[in-house]
Amino acid sequence: MNPADLPTEWANYISMAGFLLLAGLIWLIPKKLIFSEAKDHSKWRDIRVWATVLIIIQLGIYSIFI
Amino acid sequence: MHSLDLTIVIAYLALITFVGVRLGGRVKSAQDFFLAGRSLTWWVIGLSIIGTNIGANSYVGAAGNAFTVGIAQANFEWIGAIPAMILAALVFIPLYWKAGVYSIPEYLGLRYNQAVRVTAAVITSIVGIFAIGVALWALALTLQSYLGWPIWVGIMVTGTVVGLYSIAGGLAAVAFTDSLQVCIMFIGGLVIVGLGIAETGGFTGFATTLTAENPNHLQTYLDADHETFPWPGVILGLGVVLSPAYWCAGQAILQRSLGAKTQWDASAGMMFAALAKTFIPLLIVFPGLLALVMHAEIEYPDMALPWIIKNVLPPGISGLMFVAIIAALQSTIDSGVNSTSLMVTRDIRHVLFKNANRDNDLLIGRILTLVMLLMAMGIAPLVADMGGIFTFIQTILSLFQGPMLALLLLGAFTRHATPTAGLWTLISGVVLAALLLSVGINMLYVAFSSFVYAMIALWVISYFTPRTDADLTKLTYNPWSRAS
Repeated sequence: MNPADLPTEWANYISMAGFLLLAGLIWLIPKKLIFSEAKDHSKWRDIRVWATVLIIIQLGIYSIFI
Repeated sequence: MHSLDLTIVIAYLALITFVGVRLGGRVKSAQDFFLAGRSLTWWVIGLSIIGTNIGANSYVGAAGNAFTVGIAQANFEWIGAIPAMILAALVFIPLYWKAGVYSIPEYLGLRYNQAVRVTAAVITSIVGIFAIGVALWALALTLQSYLGWPIWVGIMVTGTVVGLYSIAGGLAAVAFTDSLQVCIMFIGGLVIVGLGIAETGGFTGFATTLTAENPNHLQTYLDADHETFPWPGVILGLGVVLSPAYWCAGQAILQRSLGAKTQWDASAGMMFAALAKTFIPLLIVFPGLLALVMHAEIEYPDMALPWIIKNVLPPGISGLMFVAIIAALQSTIDSGVNSTSLMVTRDIRHVLFKNANRDNDLLIGRILTLVMLLMAMGIAPLVADMGGIFTFIQTILSLFQGPMLALLLLGAFTRHATPTAGLWTLISGVVLAALLLSVGINMLYVAFSSFVYAMIALWVISYFTPRTDADLTKLTYNPWSRAS
């Protein structure tokens, strides 16, 4: 198969798969590393949650503009 | 230019100088100057990162590219930024923070050796000065086209304003003025979106008109054989190499993270920047699409944004948008001079001149900031004669970002990479990238190829060269170890 003939929508699927993989990996990072020396451990300050929201937005973008 | 617009521009320049110089009173040491005394909070860091990131090419060039290729241009803000920013926030910023470094070359120096530190600092500083020169030139051109100022006047005014607050206030002044500048950019950009959508019959009308005449303009990826942005090249070159190298190893970007008051603020700042980055296409890509829908009669694509400002925005708002462009360029210039001055002061001077008095770092840093700015001001007028210098700089970046990323990844995630292997991989990787580029291979594929080469070379050479004596506990990332 000629590389130039690769379907364009594959790029969207690869991107979405990459974002899903990233979403899984970030939750493997222990919570103690996220807060380190921080005193306030509120749920909203867990930046793994921020990252997950970002990834959901990206999944939306790459599934709409296909 | 309408007198209201001119008033807004002058008021902005006065405000930004005042805020920056006021912050100068707080600078008492080199740490205050280069790292804002480690006092920055997450939202200032996030806004400042975006301010530094959006430059001449982003604002004017992205709108022009969007006019030509459509929403695919936004990949530079999405797949070409978000994953790397998440990686930087969760892995690399905590690592740099734990190592207690001022700069990325300093981290490489600790992880490998001082030769790698100096090599990385020299390459980054040279490219940095040229990039500041280009930004100064772009700003002077903008001032000429809107205010009719001669180029040399634009360069002098910009250099004086940026110099005043950067030399006086250091990173704190740079970060706070960047934050203010990004707020102005968002206000200006959102006004364009609102007025543009209203003028084209709502979002549905806008999308229908756009896709009727340009069916591929709402596609995030272009064909695999596209000349400029082939999708495999975008994913492999931009997504896998150039973007992580920029966001995880870019000194101008990460310096404000290293100036955070806590590690959490540093990481949260980058994550906040990623959230803002998601919506940046509204500011820099949308105007290009809008110009297309409104059938703008322009000579070349880069005229898309100026056309929108002139034809869509009312007086006052167009002045604000003009200020937003000045702000975008200024924030790139101020961050560039501050980070370059840091690398020359510490990563080059401290290593090459072992007896250098470190108590003088603040004074030397300020002098070097002025020198960098003057050098860039000297280079700026030459940009017109050098043609595609911006492309040239992007190309230079693609030469060393692959090898730099390999050093960073294998250095951070393994204990296997050795100092000698690091230095030889960095040098040979740049040479290989230059060779590939000279035979006409697309820049995105060159970046990916040199990265793959550097990963393999660094791994293999490390088997035959001595390991470092340094304690790597704080220099490598292992989230599951007890020491973390």
